[in-house]
Amino acid sequence: MPSNDFAIRSEGLTREFGAVRALDSLTLDVPKGIVFGFLGPNGAGKTTAIRVFLGLLDPTAGRAEVLGYDTRRDGTAIRTRCGALLEHPGLYERLSAADNLEFYGRAWHATRRERRERIRELLTRFGLWERRDDPVGTWSRGMKQKLAVARAVMHRPDLVFLDEPTSGLDPVSTVGLREDLSALAAQEGVTVFLTTHNLNEAERLCSQVGVIRGGRLMAVGSPESLRARRDSGRVEITTHGLRDDVVGELRAWPGIESLTAEDGRLTFSLGPGASAAPIVAMLVQHGVGVEEVRKARATLEDAFLDLMGLETGINGGPT
Amino acid sequence: MIRDVWTVVWKEWQEFRDQLLSLRRGGLSALILALILGVVAPVQLGAEWVQSKIIVAYWPFLAATMVSSLIADSVAGERERHTLETLLASRLSDSAIVIGKIIAAVLYGLGFAVANLVLGLIAVNIAHAETGLILFTAPRLIATIVLTILASLLMAGIGVFISLRASTVKQAQQAFGIAIIVLTMGPLLAFNALSPETRFRLATRVGALGETRIIAYAVTLLGLLSIIVIAGALLRFRRGKLVLD
Repeated sequence: MPSNDFAIRSEGLTREFGAVRALDSLTLDVPKGIVFGFLGPNGAGKTTAIRVFLGLLDPTAGRAEVLGYDTRRDGTAIRTRCGALLEHPGLYERLSAADNLEFYGRAWHATRRERRERIRELLTRFGLWERRDDPVGTWSRGMKQKLAVARAVMHRPDLVFLDEPTSGLDPVSTVGLREDLSALAAQEGVTVFLTTHNLNEAERLCSQVGVIRGGRLMAVGSPESLRARRDSGRVEITTHGLRDDVVGELRAWPGIESLTAEDGRLTFSLGPGASAAPIVAMLVQHGVGVEEVRKARATLEDAFLDLMGLETGINGGPT
Repeated sequence: MIRDVWTVVWKEWQEFRDQLLSLRRGGLSALILALILGVVAPVQLGAEWVQSKIIVAYWPFLAATMVSSLIADSVAGERERHTLETLLASRLSDSAIVIGKIIAAVLYGLGFAVANLVLGLIAVNIAHAETGLILFTAPRLIATIVLTILASLLMAGIGVFISLRASTVKQAQQAFGIAIIVLTMGPLLAFNALSPETRFRLATRVGALGETRIIAYAVTLLGLLSIIVIAGALLRFRRGKLVLD
């Protein structure tokens, strides 16, 4: 693909803070028009990456292009075309919601009419219109976060950086904001670069994700493709009447690896060339009722934890 | 660039307005100050309040004091309230942000001085109506306004320069307070350190210059210092460093 099909391209991007390497040879292509999730634990380098992409920090080595502009040279051009919700909502709490948006509308040289219409449109979309004249300091965290997203897209940017937009929100606000983000991305046709450590959020919102650890990109692809890595060969059999002696026999079965048995549910990996059919036949022979046999579906969290080097049980937490 | 500067000025004024309208957050002190400086003092002093030479130093000093109370909050407050990084991630240039903040503070200081001068003039003329219309002389009024602008500009420049690296408003105010003490007390201490004869000779020489030349020197000195300090603030304002501080 030509480079103008990408919102972000980085090559060997490295940023050091003294002895700490926050970004380590990050090579990443983010196509235009998608919601891209950048996943990683705290301190993985997600925020540093955003700062470098916005031209706020220069890389120590390597290079990055955002919307075709070099981050070292063309910081202003990048910031003109991008919106950002960074670590904090960054709202002026003494000002009203309308004045917060008005300020950033003016900063992007929107006309008075454009500002007025856009403020109404965004505040209505996010359900904040009725409270538009209240000082933002009196608002709940969820409302502030919504307003910060509205501010980030106020000037109709081509690319929006959202740094953990649902961090610290209660579940109801999280779901609300997630739905708003999803609708926003679809309606505005904007590329969204979203950092999060909420994997459920990434799975629901993002068409592509990148996983970063210690500043290094561990994997990149669609959530399905990352899950598929973890899925391969995992089988789940739901039974009734499962006995310990049968489980013992299964543990010795050639081709079965990492078997777990819990509440009559068997989960295991099949080695190369092994098949689930003889296992089912053996269970039936031993009088065990087989209710369901299915290929186990790993979550993005399983794939993520694998990449983080943590052992997991399928559909379960770290073990 | 000019449009961006005015955008920053607009935002700063929205915040000042909020502070002024809120009695708890500073509105009450502004109101008391206006009553004392703009009503009580003029009524008590009468024509002297309007015609005294001292106004060319008095109002610039008061305006600069008002600016000093505001500028630390305007800059370090952005960091403390976590709005700085979002501001830096906008398309506004470094110079638009710095100059916008300085102009907003200068307009605040100038507004304070002009409002009190007008209020005081009205109060004097009402309270001393029997003496006929009392007015400022035009040259002295112009000198007062020019010096008020320059003193506010210098104070705002120092405030921005010092506050850029402060992580809290309190820290910025402390550093700013020390800088102001050094700047105001330094020359006084140096003057007092001179021998009585030298002090007398110096005072006689300054006195011999006359009001116009003293004002001209003051304008030149404040203007030069303001340019140096604002240039320093612009050089010190670097996004990469501010993001990491």
